Amino acid sequence: MSLQRMESTGWGRTVRSVSTEYAPQSIDELQEYVRDGKNPRGFIAHGLRRSYGDSSLNIGGITIDAAFLSRLEFHPNAPVVTVGAGVSIRTLEKASLERKLFPPVVPGTGLVSIGGAIAADIHGKSHHITGAFSSCVKRIQLLYSDGEIRDLYPEGPTADHFWATVGGLGLTGMILEADLQLIQMNTPSVLVEETRVNDLDEMLTLLSASDETFQHTVAWIDLSGDFRGRGVVGKGNYVSQELSAKQEEPTKSKNAPTLTFPKIGPFSLINKFSVRAFNEMWFRKPLTRGVSSIDSFMHPLDQIQNWNRIYGDRGFIQYQFVVPEGNEDFLAHVLVTMKDLGAASFLGVLKKFGKGSPAPLSFPKPGWTLALDIPAHLHNLESTLNSLDSQLCDRDGRIYLVKDARLKPEFLPTMYPRLEEWRGIRNNMDPRGMWQSDQSRRLKLC
Amino acid sequence: MLNAFHSPQSVALLGATSEIGQAILKALPHDSLNTCYLVAREPQRAAKTLKEVLPDRTKLVEIDFQAEATQTHKAVVDQLFADGDLDVAIIAVGVLGNNPDVDESANALDVMTVNYLACANLMLLIAEKMKLQGHGQIEIISSFAQTRPRVDNFIYGSSKAGLDFMARGLNDKLEGTGVSISILRPGFVRTRMTKGMSEAPFAVNSDAVAKVAVNLLKGDERIGYSPAVLKYVAYVFTLMPTKIFKRISNR
Repeated sequence: MSLQRMESTGWGRTVRSVSTEYAPQSIDELQEYVRDGKNPRGFIAHGLRRSYGDSSLNIGGITIDAAFLSRLEFHPNAPVVTVGAGVSIRTLEKASLERKLFPPVVPGTGLVSIGGAIAADIHGKSHHITGAFSSCVKRIQLLYSDGEIRDLYPEGPTADHFWATVGGLGLTGMILEADLQLIQMNTPSVLVEETRVNDLDEMLTLLSASDETFQHTVAWIDLSGDFRGRGVVGKGNYVSQELSAKQEEPTKSKNAPTLTFPKIGPFSLINKFSVRAFNEMWFRKPLTRGVSSIDSFMHPLDQIQNWNRIYGDRGFIQYQFVVPEGNEDFLAHVLVTMKDLGAASFLGVLKKFGKGSPAPLSFPKPGWTLALDIPAHLHNLESTLNSLDSQLCDRDGRIYLVKDARLKPEFLPTMYPRLEEWRGIRNNMDPRGMWQSDQSRRLKLC
Repeated sequence: MLNAFHSPQSVALLGATSEIGQAILKALPHDSLNTCYLVAREPQRAAKTLKEVLPDRTKLVEIDFQAEATQTHKAVVDQLFADGDLDVAIIAVGVLGNNPDVDESANALDVMTVNYLACANLMLLIAEKMKLQGHGQIEIISSFAQTRPRVDNFIYGSSKAGLDFMARGLNDKLEGTGVSISILRPGFVRTRMTKGMSEAPFAVNSDAVAKVAVNLLKGDERIGYSPAVLKYVAYVFTLMPTKIFKRISNR
């Protein structure tokens, strides 16, 4: 049995957590280990550790590596795949494309495990049409804390356990594998159209209008300079069969990251000047109009590996929230707040969500979602974000928990009004309370 | 749990009526502070003062405590962990040994019992609990007086030297467990306790000490002097020939 004491961090590198890392060799061994679990700090499963905060950490307890769950089996007569929880979206995409298939929902990075994708109910640029990741999950195989393995379905007698597991941050059990419904894909290309916009109003109008005609929409927002909300709106449609016959291979095709960001120790390369220079260049870069590889369009974050190191040892916060439509003034308020704080950032992403999923803890719901990367060392950042959280509560908004390492527990019931319902189901699924994480303790989730 | 900004959610102040202890509590980040345990002979008195400076949402838990009743310490420490993880424990229990109502030997016994025995016992008990949760920070209040025995305060100095010594050893033993001990070594601090005493050089207010205490909790340094210059004075004192040291210290 492989057990090792290990220090881990989330992707934002703000919280360091020492736990006992367990790398199971087989499902039988894992079942026995979980059934006999005696550590009062419990266990949490993890995949590729792309959650930004403390969702996959379990200080003083056990963390279970899902990497060995690598099954990838396409069903012969339907566009459905059975995939292990440790498989990455990138691997799934690659194997699917060989069969002219593709997952309908993919996030900004392909380096997310299937287990993590379900436990966070992730979303992508297609949310306004497809909804969150759970919309393509047809079955979840879950390991319970009593050591039993059960199949859960979105409908029928296991539906409450299924939906508590979706977005449930690994606190209902360990996801072992899932059946996913894929879509047909003629060519690994997307017809992309990028448009420069000069302020927030223009961006919001264009994003709303584009959702009518494009399968994928997202905007990069410039968080530097005068913070007026200028940026680039990216829109894309899968390439149709007719067009694909006419088109040559996409000009940009990158299957693997080409650069790795080096370790730079305690230093951060992020400051007002470097961000402003980069953002100016990014805003002025030639716009893509035409056929682009699906990989570079879907996963722009994967072009540079370990880009999170750019913020140095203190790490960064990704502040991502959603507010219902009609609260556009709040988006402008956030921009002004960031400007006042001196929080220059080169990663600001705006998107309009479609309808939410039936999962009580799923993040997406109709409205605007804004994600901002902010260096954690900024003076007054904690109290500023707490104040924004409070305003979010008044506006029926919420924080994305898988990005979080700082939300105050008292805001949680307002942001997630079905929290009590989720707690009830979870307690029923894990009466011993063995599935725990740093986040569940910090937010008093369970 | 500490959050992304390393702000604590739960803090225990042992010796909650201590002016230095209260100053540290005030200087800690309050943004995430949910629970504060006030451990003292009269915790109500501490709560009354601290209520004014801590956020409304911070729950103050008052715990009665007698430093010299060491057999009760375990039950007291258990209460600090009853409601989940404890992030930071500040051990500010201490006496100067200048009680005019009792004789010299009783004062000496009090100093040894409270400053060394009680504080060291609390530190060991809390460290053991924190080890189980896999994280936690303990801060003890040592003193510049522990540097070298001086005729006018060697009993007090010895109690702090004992505690300091144990804290350093325990901190080394705890390496890799996620638990750490910080040692604060203030010089002469102007408080109620030292009122009427003649001030030593480099005297500071409790707020200045608290600033050093909070920085110690944030950083990797384990020992902090207040004011910082005492670190160098301590080097000089340690190396100074006895004859000269006696002449200076008996000024």
